[in-house]
Amino acid sequence: MEKRNMENKIAEYLDGTLSQSEMDAFQKRLTTDADFQKEVEAFKMLFKDIEQEEPVLPSKQLRSNFEKLLREEKEKQVKVVSITSNSGKGFSQLFKIAASIAILMGAFLVGRYSQQKELNATLASTQEEVLQYKEATLISLLGNESASKRIQGVQLIKEFDSPDTDIVAALGEKMLGDENTNVRLSAMEALSQFSYSEQVKTIFIQALETEENPSIQVALIEILGQLQEKKAIAPMKKLLEKDDTQPFIKREINNTLPKII
Amino acid sequence: MNTNKKMSANQQTDEEIMAEVAGGNLDVLKILFDKHHVHIFNFLYKMCGDRMLSEDLTQDVFYKVIKYRTSYKHGSFVSWLFTIARNSMNTHFTRNKETHNDLEAVKYKLGEEDEHKEDYSHLHKALQQLEASDRELVVLNRFQGIRYEELAEIMNSTPGAVKTKMSRALKKLKTVYLQTI
Repeated sequence: MEKRNMENKIAEYLDGTLSQSEMDAFQKRLTTDADFQKEVEAFKMLFKDIEQEEPVLPSKQLRSNFEKLLREEKEKQVKVVSITSNSGKGFSQLFKIAASIAILMGAFLVGRYSQQKELNATLASTQEEVLQYKEATLISLLGNESASKRIQGVQLIKEFDSPDTDIVAALGEKMLGDENTNVRLSAMEALSQFSYSEQVKTIFIQALETEENPSIQVALIEILGQLQEKKAIAPMKKLLEKDDTQPFIKREINNTLPKII
Repeated sequence: MNTNKKMSANQQTDEEIMAEVAGGNLDVLKILFDKHHVHIFNFLYKMCGDRMLSEDLTQDVFYKVIKYRTSYKHGSFVSWLFTIARNSMNTHFTRNKETHNDLEAVKYKLGEEDEHKEDYSHLHKALQQLEASDRELVVLNRFQGIRYEELAEIMNSTPGAVKTKMSRALKKLKTVYLQTI
């Protein structure tokens, strides 16, 4: 190693970081070159003094300022709510978010269900009121002196999906006893929609015995025939025996009776 | 003094602790502050010779560590910390000096003897005779124990180039020091 190169290695020599071959060459130079030895000694002293140089300590204010900074940053952190964390914490955060959503959805559904229930109750109550109003109107119209108003009342039965016994009874009364044929005919047509009802069947059988209008008689025979109502056989036979029964009525009865088994 | 890869009481490296800080655990930053703030302060103090300014700049360094914690990319913590310290110091002096020339703008207060009453050692006085770039190398390596690899990282250079420059700087210091004692 030439001199300049050797001088560049003094720090490494004193630090003990030279390789074995470099160390051998360095020590050889040290023993043979007095100036170089002085140079190394000077560095040695410098390094020793550097090592012994006491660090200067900052004031306590530096630490308290740092702690204040850290506190402020932590407060900000709480407000921001960091979600960038390790996987365990991430899962926990995810769980918290999922739980929050579940609670929110639950509250929403309960609220919605409760609201719907309330709405349904209100709606049912309103529908009930409307039906009661229609029923009152129907009964009132049936009692009107005007035949057209009574027919209008009979037509109102279409508004009911399954009319109660009071309405059926009121219509039956009109069918059996109204002085106007058109009213009786309308009542019969309206009731024929509910011919499956035993109450209606009874009214029809009763009408067969009392009704004198041939048009209504034919319609009744036809309906009761279709219903195969056995209780209608006796009044039909009675009509056959009557002298004033129209021949085409008797023919209709003769055609219908064999169909009722 | 050696700041390299010291293990804390719970055997975590500086890098592991800083990664935890970057992940949101700010409390453990106290460990790094306890371990390094005196080194940073002494580096700055030996560079500028002004105790108050060095304290302000040290505080600024740790403020930046907190603020930019998420930008820490798991490299050598000491390199990262001293890079911040160096940048803070250069920024301070370039802002307060007409001739903006990075490190050479670092004003050593020792020259202005009438304006301060700091108690400097012989070594401290010898250091102020060096150019700022030489002084910085010597302080970081000989006083703060920063290795050549980390110095190269801090100065954006190579370990070989740093070693050569260091050798020259030490020779200058030795000459100046021997003249002052």
